[in-house]
Amino acid sequence: MSNAQIEAARVGTFDLSDPATPNYPDPPPIQTIGASHVDQEDPAVREAQAKRLIWVWEAPKGWKYWSAVNNTEVGVWYTSTAFIFMLFAGVLGLMVRVQLAVPDNDFLTANFYNQVYTLHGTVMMFLFAVPIFEAMAIILLPEMLGARDLPFPRLSAFGYWCFLIGGVFVCGSIFFSSAPASGWFMYPPLTTQERFTPGYGADIWLLGLSFIEVASIAAAVELIVGSLKCRPPGMRLNMMPLYTWYVLVVAGMILFAFPPLIAGDILFEMERLFNWPFFDPERGGDPMLWQHLFWIFGHPEVYIVFLPAIALLAMIVPTFARRPIVGYSWIVLAAVGTGFLSFGLWVHHMFATGLPAISLGFFSAASEAVAIPTGVQIFVFLATLLVGRVIFSVPMLFVSGALAIFVIGGLTGVMVALAPFDWQAHDTYFVVGHLHYVLIGGMLFPIVAGLYYWWPILAGRTLSDRLGKIAFWMMFVGFNVGFFPMHFSGMMGMPRRVWTYPAGLGLDLPNLVSTIGAFVFAAGFLVVVADILRPRGHLPLAKRNHWNAGTLEWLSEPEDKGWGVRSIPIITSRYPIWDQPNFIDDVDNGRFYLPDAEELKRETIVTSVLDAKPLQVLRVPGPTFMTMWAAGFLGAVFIFATFHWWYLTIAAMVLATGAILTWVWRGTAVIPEKHEKDVGRGLSLPLYVSGPQAVGWWAMFITMVGDGTAFLSLVFGYFFYVTIHAEFPPPGIEGPGLFWPLAALAVFALAWGLAFAARSLNKAGSVTSARLAMAAGGLAALLAGAFVLLGPHTTGLDPVTHVYPATVWILAIWAAVHAAVGALMLFYCLARSLFGHLTPLYDADIQNVALYWHFMLGTAFVTVATIAFTPLAT
Amino acid sequence: MFGSSRQTADNLWTLIAPPTIWAFHFVICYVVAAVRCAPNTGPFEAILATRWFILAFTLVCLLAIALIFRRSVVEWRGHGSGTVNDEDNPTARERFLEFSTILLAGLSFLAVVFTALPAAFITDCR
Amino acid sequence: MPQGRLRRNGPAAGSPPRHHAPRRSPVLRAFSLAGLLALLSACTGPQSTLTGAGSEAAQVETLFWVMLVGAVLIWVFTIGLSIYATRVHPERHSEKTGTRLILWGGVAFPVVVLTALLVYGLKLMPEFRAEANGPTIAVSGERFWFRVAYGVEGEPGVVKSLPPGGVESANEIWLPVGVRSAILLGSPDVVHSFWVPSIAGKMDMIPGRVNRLVIEPVKEGVYNGVCTEFCGDAHGQMGFRVVVVSPGDYEAYVAAQSQPAAVTSGPGFEAFMENGCDACHAVRGTEADGSVGPDLTHLGSRLTIAAGILDNTPENLVRFISATEHVKQGVEMPAYGMVPNEEIAAIAAWLEQLK
Repeated sequence: MSNAQIEAARVGTFDLSDPATPNYPDPPPIQTIGASHVDQEDPAVREAQAKRLIWVWEAPKGWKYWSAVNNTEVGVWYTSTAFIFMLFAGVLGLMVRVQLAVPDNDFLTANFYNQVYTLHGTVMMFLFAVPIFEAMAIILLPEMLGARDLPFPRLSAFGYWCFLIGGVFVCGSIFFSSAPASGWFMYPPLTTQERFTPGYGADIWLLGLSFIEVASIAAAVELIVGSLKCRPPGMRLNMMPLYTWYVLVVAGMILFAFPPLIAGDILFEMERLFNWPFFDPERGGDPMLWQHLFWIFGHPEVYIVFLPAIALLAMIVPTFARRPIVGYSWIVLAAVGTGFLSFGLWVHHMFATGLPAISLGFFSAASEAVAIPTGVQIFVFLATLLVGRVIFSVPMLFVSGALAIFVIGGLTGVMVALAPFDWQAHDTYFVVGHLHYVLIGGMLFPIVAGLYYWWPILAGRTLSDRLGKIAFWMMFVGFNVGFFPMHFSGMMGMPRRVWTYPAGLGLDLPNLVSTIGAFVFAAGFLVVVADILRPRGHLPLAKRNHWNAGTLEWLSEPEDKGWGVRSIPIITSRYPIWDQPNFIDDVDNGRFYLPDAEELKRETIVTSVLDAKPLQVLRVPGPTFMTMWAAGFLGAVFIFATFHWWYLTIAAMVLATGAILTWVWRGTAVIPEKHEKDVGRGLSLPLYVSGPQAVGWWAMFITMVGDGTAFLSLVFGYFFYVTIHAEFPPPGIEGPGLFWPLAALAVFALAWGLAFAARSLNKAGSVTSARLAMAAGGLAALLAGAFVLLGPHTTGLDPVTHVYPATVWILAIWAAVHAAVGALMLFYCLARSLFGHLTPLYDADIQNVALYWHFMLGTAFVTVATIAFTPLAT
Repeated sequence: MFGSSRQTADNLWTLIAPPTIWAFHFVICYVVAAVRCAPNTGPFEAILATRWFILAFTLVCLLAIALIFRRSVVEWRGHGSGTVNDEDNPTARERFLEFSTILLAGLSFLAVVFTALPAAFITDCR
Repeated sequence: MPQGRLRRNGPAAGSPPRHHAPRRSPVLRAFSLAGLLALLSACTGPQSTLTGAGSEAAQVETLFWVMLVGAVLIWVFTIGLSIYATRVHPERHSEKTGTRLILWGGVAFPVVVLTALLVYGLKLMPEFRAEANGPTIAVSGERFWFRVAYGVEGEPGVVKSLPPGGVESANEIWLPVGVRSAILLGSPDVVHSFWVPSIAGKMDMIPGRVNRLVIEPVKEGVYNGVCTEFCGDAHGQMGFRVVVVSPGDYEAYVAAQSQPAAVTSGPGFEAFMENGCDACHAVRGTEADGSVGPDLTHLGSRLTIAAGILDNTPENLVRFISATEHVKQGVEMPAYGMVPNEEIAAIAAWLEQLK
């Protein structure tokens, strides 16, 4: 059937088994004349182009629909899944409120209450607040950039499946009454020692979330490259939609915030599974290290949640103020400034841990300072509203509600940033109130505003104004009635995370009021859900650009075409639809770039960072199930490890690696049938780029920055132990010696040299020498990995006895695992070369692997310096 | 007005230079104080040397930020001092980056001062 | 646009800004005011931070009210402005006005306020942690109760545990009024946190670390203390009482607590030993020397049992011993429901005699 037809469509050099060509039946005829040489004003030409574009960008049909990878499909799955998790966590939140409605209640048992509140927080933070940013960005970013897709669609799909599997695993646990039950920040030693937390709860939390962190980092890579390299031609940095600035900042923050948590997770799980004493003070560990690592992640995370939601406001406000934003640079200041400062706040979650006042002072200072860019942000919106001619609407209603609520959260935030006040408010309902004001005002209300605003481009029809207003007032009043009294409960001495409280402390009334408010709030949100789910097939389609906005996502037509944009426009304004004459018509008639998919391949344009000069036509891969398999096997690794089924874990690990390799082998660095392609308007762009210009190289670079951050977090752990111990290594324990670590470093340097040589030799055309270098480099890498492990092994360091050997081992294992991955990459390049997928001209694979090896060498150097030389210094 | 040849080209790295200096300053202050106070004994011993170091380092960082600020202001003026910068040409992009750098330098300057304040008011490890 | 510009007239300017709809404002305003007053009138209590029973709590209370008033003003201004810009006067203003607003409202004003607050906070911090001039008391947070030892000697530090010795008690801390007492905080199991809201802020009790909290009660009375770091199932019912008395009474109390038990024989004591209670509990002056659970030498003198959750009466004691898990879910002490009622009653009667 379809295969035969596709076979029949093979013409000359056009290869339809390319991953960029979807495996669909009935391909339209290909076009051999370049886009610059056809008569674009001829309707027949345009019709043929449109037919090809639709065929190429269409989502798969039937059960194969789930193999889709295009940003529209994946984004919609992602968003709806995040909302479903949110509704689930909302029900958990209501259970908490029922339990606390009256004193001495017995609606839930203490243990089940603890599961419920832990899962409420965990799901809201990890399965809703962060993923919803990624989800909405996957939908909106390419639309706002007039791109046909993000640069790595299969990575997005992989991220989604990871998210889904991890989320279902974590949420499902409560139905077996084995959910985590120690709060969403899981402080050890309560959580790391079986005697305090028997069962699988803590493991499920940890492994489930590690898996979701993978998804977040995947999204960060995708979004950074997307916003820097996939902008439409002409969209210079000063033209980027503000949303893109926020996405860039937030994705960058993810890259530095999540890895410390990954490092923390590794230490945590090693203690829980293998009794390595990272957080056990009896054996030199310190529970405070987890708190540091968790909050180095945890505080930026608040802004990772908040900034993208504010970004939605930055798009909505100008539309309804009928003018460009006032203070574009101020918003950039606010986004970048907040992004940085948010990394200097983490200890304000630890004000009560007894750290020296001077240390607390630094964090108190930064916590106050971060209010400045946040204030600027709010005042930019106010200024825009003031300067513009405001039109009110349901999205604006939610925007106003968001401001009213968020400002309260911000003001209480300034209060708790003062350590002396925080010593009273910390871990009480005051903080519970504060954080809900920040998150609901700073995240949920903007997202609902965004739903009402962008729904026309998502579904072609509008949501109901009447229901929107009802929902808003129920949510707004319900929220304030529900959460405002919590500040008072807190000031009256109600700690958070208590499953019950006694009567007579003045807590009865505020708690009852909170519960009533929470239910009104939830009912309001259900109105939104009902509005979304209500069938509206009989309603007329919304008109295009429903709100008369000025940015590119509004090019989208009410009846979805799948192609994103008919042609990729040239941008000369921040609000092209408002400012560029005849803009929509030119786009629709294909007068800009890439008006066609001549060879039936999914293509988009890559541009330069500063001025968005067109650089390349990027062919992006189409539907595949391989990403689902990869995510499934990787999920199996985490799930099997949770239950300590080690053989199955290893089997799943092998399968996951196989699936990822297959995906990468088939889907990346495909050699095109010609070097350049005519994209229209007389412009020809290369189809294959490697090295620092290529998006794949950027992805590797960004991933390795995240990886390096995780590694440095582990090193931070090592030096943290150095500072708290008078002697480290402790008396009586030998370090890993000098010989093996230095030998390892030498061999690492050799492997790095070989990887580097392989790249240069290949480029110079010495393919055979390059292959030899790859093979030798791979072997050297394996050897280096073995050597680095031999150090602690030969000196008999036992990681169970004390935290010192445990940290040495963890660093050595980290380096060894990276060596193994480096070896695998070199062997992969060797195979690519042997099979003709890697040539002197088309050398993206070895370019990226050489980049990996630069980071690898750095890792090896720091590891060896730390484990071999610090014992000498002490 | 400067000719464009006398201008340095801004990019995303120059944009984030001031807050990066803040981050660096913050980490160093935190680490120095943390290491000095880590044993958590003798909470009432004065930590004069640590505080002097923080003061000196703060001045260095403020100076660096001030230089970035000055450079950006000079070049931004050279490009016509625009604050909106939404025109479609490389100069507007350059001016936008310069103006944004000015703002970020201002914020970073304040943030560095804020970060140094604890060392002015807290004299020991208590 | 589906709605066009909305109501430019109407009472928007005078409405309370938290609620946008002008029509609803009077009702809501009345409701919020009534609610606020009701809440404020109930602000003081044995567990409230607004009781002012300690010098720190009193200073933080002042800080709180000042910040609250400031916050309300800022909020009213901000939201008032947004209502003005969207509803009252949605027409255009000049761009210059906008930029000025950002500069003054978004930058200048916050910088001034935040600097003032920060400096004030930084000055307060070392003050709160000034040296003690009263007794040093060790308090250990244990799942799910507080071990107390009067008159210990020790310093804060890392990789160490609380100093041993002192006069041991549990779940009740007596403090001399008007004196700065040093509380050394630690834990043998998981992270807990020590908080007496009416007297001072909280500080964590972290395994492997000894923290030092200095507090100065200024009003005699009995106050509630609670654990504020989640520590397991019974976290919500892990509390204690703080009894603030004159320095003389404090000395007398500690002297009395240092005495051995008042009654060291009888059926209650025998039942206590026969049922193995001494494996966990110590009663000084007898051979009962368990150290897992609270020291019971002077249980009869305490105000509460089961870590601050029940009044100390013989009935409650019987109820707790026979059904610990029912009274306090997650508690570590097993229930002794299988022990004959009369034996439990005898044990309770004996313990109540230990004044």
